[in-house]
Amino acid sequence: MSRPDFDRYPELKKAWDRREFIKSAAAGTAFMALGGALVRIAADDLTKAARAEKRGDGRARLPPGQRTLEYLRPMGGDPSDGDVKTFKLRVHGAVKTPFELDYAGLLKLPQVTKEADVHCVTGWTMLAGVWKGVQISMLAEKAGVKGEAKHVILEAAHGFTANAPLADATKDNCLVTYRLNGKPFQLQHGAPVRGLIPDLYFWKSAKWITGVRFVKDDEPGFWEVRGYHNHADPWKEERYG
Amino acid sequence: MADWKRWRGWLRAIHRDVGYLAVGFTIIYAISGIAMNHVDDWNYNYNSKERTLVIAPVPDDATDEQAAKLVADAAGTGNADDVFRAGDEVRLEYADGTKVTAIGAEVTVQEVKSRFFFRAVTWLHAAKGKQGWKYIADAYAVLLLYLAISGLFMIKGKLGLKWRGTLLVAIGVLVPVCYLYASGGPEAHKDKPKPQVSNVSS
Repeated sequence: MSRPDFDRYPELKKAWDRREFIKSAAAGTAFMALGGALVRIAADDLTKAARAEKRGDGRARLPPGQRTLEYLRPMGGDPSDGDVKTFKLRVHGAVKTPFELDYAGLLKLPQVTKEADVHCVTGWTMLAGVWKGVQISMLAEKAGVKGEAKHVILEAAHGFTANAPLADATKDNCLVTYRLNGKPFQLQHGAPVRGLIPDLYFWKSAKWITGVRFVKDDEPGFWEVRGYHNHADPWKEERYG
Repeated sequence: MADWKRWRGWLRAIHRDVGYLAVGFTIIYAISGIAMNHVDDWNYNYNSKERTLVIAPVPDDATDEQAAKLVADAAGTGNADDVFRAGDEVRLEYADGTKVTAIGAEVTVQEVKSRFFFRAVTWLHAAKGKQGWKYIADAYAVLLLYLAISGLFMIKGKLGLKWRGTLLVAIGVLVPVCYLYASGGPEAHKDKPKPQVSNVSS
């Protein structure tokens, strides 16, 4: 559209300026959105490669609806003070001998290092993290879990809880973990110690963990009572309840 | 002119004053909303930095003081306020929140700075558990409703509801409606029925 003669029609100038502004704003927004999309497409090779892989159990390495990231994303939450000196882990509930550990006590228990992928319900997956810690199954054994216990509640700072079936939470890759890829966790990722239940969506792996409670009846946790799925299997896309 | 015929003038005057009143709230809710919307891209509570370096491992027989000095010198972080050793770890803590952890030969320096503004506004935005603020936020929502509805009738003519106004209102309504339609809405994201569970703890 050709530009009107503003000298002849000065009253048109204001409307024209507004039109130009709206056009420029729309073009700018479209440019930024396109740029964002291109960055996302370009970074997606890892996702394609992961989709082509299979896990040992025959399932696809990348659950449906996920894309890969090379790092953990901070997902918010109400952190603890992150202090190893005041850290306590209570193992209790339907157990014969409940106990409490401080950080040094946790490190004295048998340690394992596991490689595991983690899958966030928001759609990202971090592959091949190397996690170090103590198996939840080991804590269960030490506490003498009663036969009636069917679920595990991970308890965390400020009353956060996440529930998981006992069978899921006591797989050999489920840990109370304090190191990822040889480094301590940052506060935003659950320092000093967090849970790890890698085959369920990552919110089940409670950050800033304070307790592991074994229970007979299930108790939906913080996110589960807020509309997220009670079980949270990434391969079944159990995102919402 | 009779007073009732000046309703548009009153509407505009109240709209103006309510608008002034809403400025602070709107800034808080808009900025915190954007921050919370992008929670998976950044941490609105803290700005965290991490760096790693490799040192000669701390000897097992080193005292806490010796270990702390060795690690702090290597990290260049100065005298630690607190030292903690467990297993193969030497942890140094500083009053400003910096944490230095040596695990064998690898030292990780983690610096955390609070984003006070974003912490404060997102804390307000997530009204959960803050009874007083919940009612203040409700009042703000009512003000926003007034602004939205009164805004429809503030201007007469083709710049008002007759043409431009109707078009823009329609766009504003259609964007969420079309998104709901295209995405399938909440039902499309609902999978299997929630299992029967009990809230009773053993």
